[in-house]
Formats: sequence, C-alpha cells, structure tokens
Amino acid sequence: MGTSEQWLAWLGMATVISPVALLLLLGTSMLAGLRASELWVGQLTRAAVLIGLLATLGVLVLMLVTGVRYVPVGLGDWVHLGGTGHEFSFHLKFNFDRLSVPFTILVFVLCGTISEFAQRYLHREAGFRRFYLLYALFLAGMVVSSLAGTIETLFLGWEFVGLSSAMLIAYFHERRGPVQNGLRVWAVYRLADAAFLVAALAMHHLHGHGDFGHFTGVGPWPDGRADLGAGPAMLVGLLLLVAAAGKSALVPFSGWLPRAMEGPTPSSAVFYGALSVHLGAYLLLRVNPVLQESWIVRLLVVAVGLATAISAAISARVQSDVKSALAYASLTQVGLIVVEIGLGLNYLALIHIIGHASLRTLQLLRAPTALRDWQQIENAIGPESPVRDGRLGEAAPGWAAIAVYRFGLERGFFDTLLDRFLVAPLMGLFRESDRLERIWTDWLDRRPSRESDLAELHPEGEGE
Amino acid sequence: MNNHSEKTGVPDSHGKAGTQSNTGRVEELIRHAIHWLPTQGPISVFVHHNTLHALEDLPFELAVTAGAERFGCEPWWSEARYREEVLVGRIRQEDLQETLLEDLGDQADLLVGSFGTRFALRMAMLEFPLQSYPDVELKWLLAETDMLQRFHSGVPAATQRSLVAKTRTWLEEMESAAGSGQSGRESDEALAALVSKRFNGGRQGLLRDFQSARAGAATLQVLWEVVRAGTRDLPVVAANTLRAIRPRDRIHAVSEVDPDLLVHEVLIRFCAAFLDQGLAARRLPGRANGFAKSFVSVLGAGTWPRPDWMRSSAALFCKVLEPDWEPLASILESLEHFRVPPSEQGEFLERTLLALPGWAGMIWQMETNAPWTPRPAPPGSLREFLAVRLILDRCALEHVERLVKRETVRIRAGVSAAARLSLARAFTIFQMAQVRGWQPVQLAAMPVEQWAALVNEMEAFSSRERRRVFHLAYERRFRARVLDALAIHAPQRMAVCEPVRPAWQLITCIDDREESFRRHVEEIDPACETFGAAGFFAVVMYYRGVDQAHFRPLCPINVVPRHQVREVPRFSLRMADQARSRRRRWLGLASRGVNVSSRSLLGGALAGLAGTVATLPLLGRVLAPGWTAWIRASAGELVRPVATELDLARDDGAVAFGDLAQGFTTAEMAGIVVRLLQDIGLVKHFSPVIVLLGHGSNSLNNPHESAYNCGACSGSKGGPNARAFAWMANQPRVRSLVRERGIDLPDEVHFVGGIHDTCTDRIDCFDLDAVPPWHREQLLRIEASLAEACQRNAHERSRRFESVSLDATSTRALVEVRQRAEDLSQVRPEYNHATTAICLVGRRAWSRGLFLDRRAFLVSYDPEVDDPERTILARILAAVIPVCGGISLEYLFSCLDPEGYGCGSKLPHNIVSLAGVMTGAASDLRPGLSQQMTEIHEPMRLLFVVEANPAELDEVVRSNRVTEQMVGHAWVQLATLDPGSGDIRILKRGGSEPWKPRTGELPCAASSREWYRGQRGHLGFAQIGDVVAAGQASKKGCH
Repeated sequence: MGTSEQWLAWLGMATVISPVALLLLLGTSMLAGLRASELWVGQLTRAAVLIGLLATLGVLVLMLVTGVRYVPVGLGDWVHLGGTGHEFSFHLKFNFDRLSVPFTILVFVLCGTISEFAQRYLHREAGFRRFYLLYALFLAGMVVSSLAGTIETLFLGWEFVGLSSAMLIAYFHERRGPVQNGLRVWAVYRLADAAFLVAALAMHHLHGHGDFGHFTGVGPWPDGRADLGAGPAMLVGLLLLVAAAGKSALVPFSGWLPRAMEGPTPSSAVFYGALSVHLGAYLLLRVNPVLQESWIVRLLVVAVGLATAISAAISARVQSDVKSALAYASLTQVGLIVVEIGLGLNYLALIHIIGHASLRTLQLLRAPTALRDWQQIENAIGPESPVRDGRLGEAAPGWAAIAVYRFGLERGFFDTLLDRFLVAPLMGLFRESDRLERIWTDWLDRRPSRESDLAELHPEGEGE
Repeated sequence: MNNHSEKTGVPDSHGKAGTQSNTGRVEELIRHAIHWLPTQGPISVFVHHNTLHALEDLPFELAVTAGAERFGCEPWWSEARYREEVLVGRIRQEDLQETLLEDLGDQADLLVGSFGTRFALRMAMLEFPLQSYPDVELKWLLAETDMLQRFHSGVPAATQRSLVAKTRTWLEEMESAAGSGQSGRESDEALAALVSKRFNGGRQGLLRDFQSARAGAATLQVLWEVVRAGTRDLPVVAANTLRAIRPRDRIHAVSEVDPDLLVHEVLIRFCAAFLDQGLAARRLPGRANGFAKSFVSVLGAGTWPRPDWMRSSAALFCKVLEPDWEPLASILESLEHFRVPPSEQGEFLERTLLALPGWAGMIWQMETNAPWTPRPAPPGSLREFLAVRLILDRCALEHVERLVKRETVRIRAGVSAAARLSLARAFTIFQMAQVRGWQPVQLAAMPVEQWAALVNEMEAFSSRERRRVFHLAYERRFRARVLDALAIHAPQRMAVCEPVRPAWQLITCIDDREESFRRHVEEIDPACETFGAAGFFAVVMYYRGVDQAHFRPLCPINVVPRHQVREVPRFSLRMADQARSRRRRWLGLASRGVNVSSRSLLGGALAGLAGTVATLPLLGRVLAPGWTAWIRASAGELVRPVATELDLARDDGAVAFGDLAQGFTTAEMAGIVVRLLQDIGLVKHFSPVIVLLGHGSNSLNNPHESAYNCGACSGSKGGPNARAFAWMANQPRVRSLVRERGIDLPDEVHFVGGIHDTCTDRIDCFDLDAVPPWHREQLLRIEASLAEACQRNAHERSRRFESVSLDATSTRALVEVRQRAEDLSQVRPEYNHATTAICLVGRRAWSRGLFLDRRAFLVSYDPEVDDPERTILARILAAVIPVCGGISLEYLFSCLDPEGYGCGSKLPHNIVSLAGVMTGAASDLRPGLSQQMTEIHEPMRLLFVVEANPAELDEVVRSNRVTEQMVGHAWVQLATLDPGSGDIRILKRGGSEPWKPRTGELPCAASSREWYRGQRGHLGFAQIGDVVAAGQASKKGCH
C-alpha cells in the first residue's frame, strides 16, 4: 500500500510539473533570446504532453487497481498568515478524483493533438515560438485548474488560461480586429475573475481556507456535501455562477465567443471549441456540492444554461461563416451541460463535456475544408440544393421569422445590452468619479493638480 | 475602365435639372466606381487575374503607383527587403547602375550643384540605406542614441577622416580670424552664430572637443547643425496625402472611433448572410426582395435593442420599405446630405465602395457573373448595398461626431505636417552628407537656392522611387539570366537533329508546374517528345461527372461554352452504378445529417454524448494522415463510380436544345482536333501512342483549392478535356475529316487521355481498354516512364518544402507529397504557380534539356506550321498573354503586399457564405493569394520569349486589344527568338533591340537531380546532359 501511495504521489507530481516545466523552458529560452528551432519546440512540447498524459493514465490505473477514489497531492504551503480564527494559507494542492482525472486526460489528449497539428499548420510562421509559449501557458493553466484541490490553486490555473486565451486571440497583433476582440474577451474574463475572487474570499471568510476537500464536505467527488448554510452557499454559488458564465460565454456574456475566432485555427479549435469554453462548466461541476445547497442557485444555473442553449442554438442556425457557426454550436452544448449540472446529473455532464470537446475540436480543425466537404456532400446527394429550400414564404416572411432571424444575426443582442447596461454605466461612474476627484484635488491644491494634464502631447504615431 | 482617371465626374447639372437626369448621372458614376472592385468570384471557381485590372490602360509603373494610392497598398517591396536581395547577390550593383541609367535617360549627367551628377547622387542613395523615422521617434533617436556621436557604419574611414580634418581646419581658421579681428567669410559668420547659439562651450569648447577623442562626434554635431540651419526655412510642399473625400476621413483623423468600424460590424454580418450559398442552416428571410428591403426588414425596422449609433437609423430606413423607393434616389439624397460637390461625387462613391472592397466586389460578381451558383444575388444588389451603406454612414457619423473629444482634436491638429517633414528631410541630407563626404564648410556657405535645389533633388528620388528602381533592377537581373541561358542553349539545341518519329508523344498543359514533369519524362525516355497546350485542349464544354451535382465550364473564363457533356456509366454497368450512386447518396445524406444536426440543440447533445468516438478520426487525421487516407480510400471503393464513358457524340443532323448542344458533331470534333494539333505544331511525325494529360490538384485544408487546378479550365480539373480530346481524335470518322483538312493522321496512331494531379503527382489515364492490343507493349513502357517521372517530379518539388529533408529519396518524396494532400494541418499542399516567371512560346526543340526550375510556362508553337499572317500565333497569344500574364500579376501583387493585395496569412482564414474567406471572426472578404502561397515567389512581370520575327510579332500583338494593352503598357515583358538563327531580341516600345549576352557559359549537369540536389532556393539555369549526345540518343531511340 505504501508503495502505491508513493507511486501515486510521484505520478501526480509529474502530471502537474511536466506542463509547468514546458512553460518555464520555452519562456526562459525566449527570454534569453534563443531562437529555438521549430523542431526543438515541437519535440519538447510532445515530450511534456506525453509525460503528463502517461502520468495521468498511470494515476488512473493505480486508482482503479487500489480502489482509491481520492488522491490529494500537495506541493507545499506557500503563504501562511495570521493566527487563530482569521488565518490565510496558500496551499498548492492537487486532487485526483473521478472528476479531475478524466478531464485532465482529455486536456492532454486534445492539447497533444493540437500541438501536433500546429507544428505543421504554423510551420514557417514568424510567431511560431510565441504561439507555443502561449500554448504552454494554456496547457499549464488547464492542468492546474482541472486538478486544483484548493480554490486558490484553481484561480491560479484559471488566470493562466484567461491570459493565454486573450493573448492568442490577439495573436495577429499587427491587425486591429484581433487586438480589439482580444481586449474585449479579456475584459469579460476580468469580470469573471473578479466574481471568482470574491467567491474565494467569501469562502475563506466562512471557512478559513479554500480547500475543496473540506468545504465540499466529506466524501470524494461527486458525493461531497457542503457544510455551508443555505445563505452563504447562495452567495458563493451566485458569484461562482457569474465566474463560470464569463469563462464559458454563458448568457449574457455569449457575445465574446465568436469574436474569439481571430487566432490561428488550431488555437480557436482547442480553446473556444473545446477546452477553455468548458472550463466554466468544469468549475460548476467541481463546486457542485455548494450549488446543491441552495435551490435558488440551482434554479438559476438551470435557467442560465437553458437560456444559453436556446439563444446559441438560434444564433448557430443563422451564422454564415463556418467558425462562428461552430462557436455557437459549441455554446449550445455548453448551455446544456450547465443545465445538467444544475440538475445534479454530474456524470452525464462529465461525459457530455468530454465527448463534446473531442467532437468540436475535430469539426473546427476541419473548418478550412468546409468548402470541399460541402461540395462533396452536394455531389453525393445530387443536383438539388442540399439545404432544404425555404423559397416558399421567402418574399413575404412573417414577423416571427424575421424576429427569430434578427435575434440570431444580432447574436441575441447580448453585446449591445452589455454595452448599454453594464459598460456605459460603469464608464460613466468612473468618469464622474474622476471629475469629482479632480475638483477636490484642485481645490486642495488651489491650482490644477494633475501633472499629467501638463505633459506635452503628441499623436501616437504616423497616420493611424 | 477607360474613365478611371476621370475623378471629377460629370459637370454640375445646372439649376433645376430633373431628378431623373441626376439619378442617371449617379448610375453612371457607380458604373465607373465598380471598375475598381476586385473581380474574383466565389472561391470555388478561382481564376487568376491581374489584381490591378482596373488600371490596365496605364503603363505598368504608373498603374502600380496609382493603384497603391487608391487601394492603400504598398506599391513595391520595402527598401530593406530589396537590400536583402542586394546582399545575397540577387540584385547586383551593375544591375542597379544599368537600370538607373536607363531610367534617367539623358538626365543622368545633369549636375546637381557641386554634389556631382544626378546619376551619382541617386546611385549613392540606392546603395546607402537611408533611414527615415517618424518625427517623434527621430527626436528620441537624436537625443538618446549615438546618432550624433558616431559616423554611420557605412561611411568609409577615409571620408570620416577627411570630414573631421576639414572641419577642424575650418574651425581653427575661424578662431584665428576672430582672434585677429578679421571678418570671416559668410559661411564663417553663419557658423559662428550657430556655434555660439548651439554649443555650450562656444567655439573654444568645440575646438577642445576636436583635439580630444571626441573629434568625430563634434564633426557630426557641426554637420547636423549646418544641415538643420540650411534646411529649416525651406518651403515644404504639403505631403501628397489623400484628400478627405468622405466625411468619415475627416472625422477619423481627429477621433479615436472609426465610424467605418461601427458600420462594418453590422454590414459584414449582413452581407455574409445575404450572399450565403448554404452555409447557414437558416436562410435570410425576404432575400428575394433585394438587399435593401431585406436589410431593413431585419435590421432597419422594428423595435429591438440596437447599438447606440444605429438608434437614429429607424427613421431613415422606414422609407426604404415604401414600394416606390429607389436606391439611386436614396444615394443621391445621401450625397446631398453629406454635401458632396458634384465634382467630387464620383470619387466619393468610389471611395465608399472601396471601404469594403471585398464584399462590394463579391455582391457585384454574384449579381452579374454567377448564374451557376445556387443563389445568385438579385439584380441591383450593389446599388442597394451602396444606398444602405450611405444611410448607415450617416448614422455612424452623427454618433461619432458627438463622441469626438476636443483633446484629441487638439493633439492631432497640433502637429503640422510641415514641422514633421523639416526634421526628416534634414536627417536624410545629414546621412547623405556623411556617406558622400559633404563638408560642413561647403554646406554652410551654400545659399538658400542651392539648398532648395539639393533638397528638391533628393526628395524627387523619394523612397517610393528608389523602391521602383530596385524592383526594375530585380527584374532586369532575372531577365538577363534567362536570355543569356537561352542565347547559349537554343542555338546549340537547334543544331542537333530532331528525331524523325519519336517513340511516343506527350501533350500536357502549358502550366509551369508541368515544366519539371516534362523535363523528367524527356530525361527518362529521350525518345519521347513533349508538347504544351492550354489545358482545355481546345475542347470547350460544360461538363458534369457521374458523381457531380452540377455542370461546370471546362474552358478559359472568357469563353462561353456551347456544348454540354456528361459522364455516364458504361451501359453494361448501369445497374452497378445505380447501386453505388445510391450508396453515395446515402452516405452524403448521413454526413450532412451529422454535420447539420451536430450543430443543433438536441442532435448536438446526442452527438456530444457520443462524441468521444470523434477522437478516433481526430487522432488519425492528425497523427497518421497517411493511414487515415488509405482507410478512407479503401472505403471509398464502395462508392466510387464504376467504369464510365463520355457522352460526346451528337448526330450531325440533331438540333441543339436551347443554347446548349448535347455533345459534338463529327465536324465540330474534327475542328477541335485540327485546331489543337496546329497550335502545338504536331502535324507530322506522329508517334503510335500520344498521351494527353490534363491537370488538377487535390488537397485538404485549402479554401483556395480551385486556384490550384487548371487555369485554362476555369479552376476545375482538366482530365475530362484530355479524355474528350483523345476520344474525338480516335474516331475514324473524325480522323478522315482531319485528313481532309490537311493533317495526315495515320490510322495506327492512338490517343490516350489522362490527368496529372500536381499535388500528389499521381497520373490516371482514361479508357485504357480502348487501346488496341498491338499498342499495349508501348503503353506499358509509357506507363513506366510516367510513373518514374512522377517520382522524380515529386522529388524535385520536395526540395522547396522545408519540412522535407533535402536528402530524402525520391520514393520518400512521393510519399511525402501524397501525404501533404491528405493532411488536415498542411497549409502548403503544393506551391502552385509560386515560381512562375517566364513563358516560352515556340518549339520545344530549343528549350529541351534546359533546366528551367519550374519557372516557365511552355507553350508549343511551330512557326513552320503557321501561315504567313501568323494566324496560329495570334490565337495562341490572344489566350496565353492575358492568362499567364494574369497569373503572374496576381502573384506579383499578392507577393508585394500580402496584406493589401493578397489575402494575408492562411492561418486565421474563415470560410464565409461558401463564397470566400474572411480573416478571423469578421473582416472584409479577402480576394487575392495568401502569404503561404506567395512566400517563395519572386515578384516579376512575366517574361515572354516567342519564337517569331520581331516585326511579325509586333503586328500580331497589336491585332488584339488586350495583348496590345498588356504588352504596350509593359504589364508583361516580351522578347523574340529567331526561328532560324536563335538570335534573341527584346521588344521595347517602338522597336526591338538585339540581346547581347553577358556571358558565354551555361553550367552543365548530368541530370536534373544532380543540379538541384541539396538546394532549397531558386536555382540558376543549366544544361541537363550533353545536349548533342541527347539529341542523337533520341534519334536512335525511334529507329
């Protein structure tokens, strides 16, 4: 028994350390100005993914053999503050259980595939190393957050994923569109992060620590029972729901998902089709014992999931570019998965996540071939149009048809509504605060108090 | 097209001219504006064409400048890019000198003040990398870097020493003069004033610097101050910036929000929906009512949460739904709203359309040029698009005007162009003075007029001009190498006796990718003779394969077929074929079902739950593309069409239905056969078996797949044409008609049609069962040679793929190229026309055995077969010059500016509406070629070398409007090769001049493989094998 525990600990550590080591190696070599060859970067990535994958499979086998269903692996306590009562500690702790092991295997398989794909796809691309660095950041983030045993660790991985996502959307930074869209996604992520952070704080406040193993009660996932009261559970649950909604593009944050299709096809595939978009759902799955404490939260989770699924299904049918269509198709299923989580169907949700992520990755990788696929299907089926012809009623469409179409084309109006009811008031608030502060400091100083106002101004550059 | 330069439009209609005439005028203006739009149709039928077709009536160099201004693109590569070519020896100094001399003509020796000749000055400006920086950056560089401390690294040490010495002497003289109280020269006074003003230590301090190690820095500072003082007060001609014709331009200059971005977000999404050919599951409601009405009913009317800027649009849009709404009237109203003066209206509309050129162009193509698509756009769509766009522009503009911050206006307006230019211009002269060793003492004495002259001289040779000269030198160098090679090789080859009757003959497309293939066939089997003809082989038809849904034109884009041909299963196999087509249909329905429903709510849920299965094809596709392809191919056997034949013959008496005839009559077939044989000059010495190979290309992950197919077949595969031609030429009745028309085609000759896949290097021949038994042995020999040629060709191609090792065997290379075609992640399945640069028109005899590195279109033409009026040459050139010229020009422009003229990197491409690609989530539609397609291209105008007499060629070229324009305006380069002597002449405007070879040597290699082995880049030309011996061998082979 002792050896198997030893082995589990070693394998668990290998799982976490290999992607982190990859990140460090790629990062330091770039920082040192070494121009590593494409081959070297590729081999290194392949090795890291393989080690991670084999280690996770090893854990799985050992768990199956020994019958252990919950393996915590600690990497130390990094910060410890305070005394009794209000202490804070930052544990790097990873849990291997029935949720995290399958999900981590999925992460390694899909990321490994994408890495192989990207080696040929990005061959001769000027940003090849940058892509792989961000990829390593993403992989490390995904592994850390899927295995996280404490809420702080989860947050760490979560931030890695967010950062790499935003940077990969803005991968083609010489053009305006990707940068703008990357920024927008980043802003939504920050909102989600804020909610996440507040939830983590609240948990600490209620519990004194953020260890899932404790606050989701006794018993390994999914049999945990949270020992929070209904009230605190609702507060934490709602905050986590907001966090998950931002990360998984649930209503009302859905607008960012099609905008994320700016990067190279493989990154779009693995992030927005497969892994990143499921991370919010995964969070909900992880903290499901807390959600189950409050029926209001459960109801809300189901409602948000349902709204997302329906609105995304409508949008998916209207999109006329292949990547947006797939993005919304993906979102439809994420909505359903959230509904399943709300209903407490944990295993179903997990299976759904894994199957859906694989399917969507394949579909997105095939996206550049869409034209050929479509022609082949048309050739096979025959000369009549492969899409059922809606010519009847085309000239005089009913208002309902138009309304549904408009809803889809404008992507549920969510971006417009967010801009109007969230962004504009917030910006107004900040501007107003700035104005008041300026009045106040000017009055205190009895003269213009902002040195920045006096700086010599010049345009940003030539032309635009 | 002719009125593109007419910027002013029609003069103002006086007083109360009726609206009718006004709308007529607007219509006219729109018609002109449309010429600027890209003419690329839906991407499934990609036909290469000149990107700047709208400017073809201007000389090339002018058109490039005009195009760059109008489209906001780069006219040439950057100077730095050309300098790299200088560094690697691709452009030599001699080439620059010769180009510059030719460019300057008799102005080369003009003296520029005391600074030498114009030629010398410009040459120095070309050789020395003059840097220019934005104003802010320059200020920073001057203050924070050692620009004023150290001489530029390109300045020779002698020049440095002389500059320092002279400046010191000057200062010392001035010091002693001041000491003795004498008043100095004018320059000294100026300098004295300067020194006391600019240098803290005054003159003595400066002199002390000169005695120390800081002499160089002190000299540079004096030089800089002198140049600054000299150029500061010169008048600045306002930079030739684009006038703000659209109100958006004015607003955008001072605001951080671009009104166009707001408009485009809505418009792009709607255009995509409007043009969608079936990608979205739900169709745009009311599309049949036209662009404007469907736009308004979906996005204009009704109550819904609009973006803020669109809130005022509802009132404007409600008019559109009225039955008597007219797009032209609406455009006119918008023009009045923007107060565009009539003289600017033409340009205003052009620029408005060019704000989103891809989508506007595609709407126009779908409206006028795409009746074969599932959903063409209704007529008038582009006008309605423009009307809607202008209304949106109005809303966006009003919105942004409210947002503009006074602060930004102040910042942007505060920087005058003049101030910016003055510093930059001083810096240019400062750099030049260092290189050329212009003494500060000399400069300081210069009067204002001389400064002005110097500045004008240098500014006349602006960066753009320098880039133009670099480019011309780049082309010149290559031209010299080609003509030198031909001048040596052609006469040698012509002296060799040609085979009387070759063992077999091969006719391929003229495509540059077939050059290497033909060369390898000739190397493998010297007794083989090859020909090049446009890949539709004179068979003009709409064709539908047995497993295809639609008829597609298989002929050049400018020809309209009048015949339809279907592929049908062999009669005896019709039952088997029905079973297979049922299976195909079933599979098609199933895969459509999976595709569509996996995107829906419930179907997607089922697919998602079972989705783990998708990891199998996913992993297979990515990790083992070769195996996956093999499995797919094996499974594909179940649904592949059975043996088929072409339904080609039509009774001579049968009447065609409608416009299209089903098949060809015997007389028509004989006409086709005669035409092709005459074109390629194959009228005698027929070999027993003649193989024709059309070509096509199969690849995955390639929205531009159609561009890789045969250009002479409108972007389809040319196999059916070869098959049809072979069938026709084999018909005894056709053959007797052909004989009547003077070509003695013996009975025992048999034609075989086939297709060459240029991506996988696979050859499939059709109707081999019809080959008579006595030819079969010959056929086996041919098949073996072709198979070997495929392997060698794949090997030669592989040297350009960085991911294939340079010492791969040819067997390995074949595996690699086949794998590429099946690889989802491969963005470079093949390099298509990327290496194209030359077009040889004439007998293969004189180019055979010359290694042309896949850079040449090879068009077979025999002047001896032609009549004195050169009818055959005329019809060949009428097709070849625009087609090959168009290919080369599209590559040229896409390569010069991949983002502007090309479609950028393939990596973020997103197929939209099944009609084109966008970059990323939402962008303009991107016509042109991708960066991955053009990365190894050398942008040059195509060089034609035609086997003809210069005077006759000139006449032939002039006889056709298109060729006259392309040649006369130098969109292609033209040279002739004398049919008798092999002398080469270059055709220039108004005559020709003989080509004087620069070298008498041409490298020799035993085989192509030996010449290219171990090399990645473009190669020089070389003779393959011993030319004389090769000729004799081929002679032997056929006896």
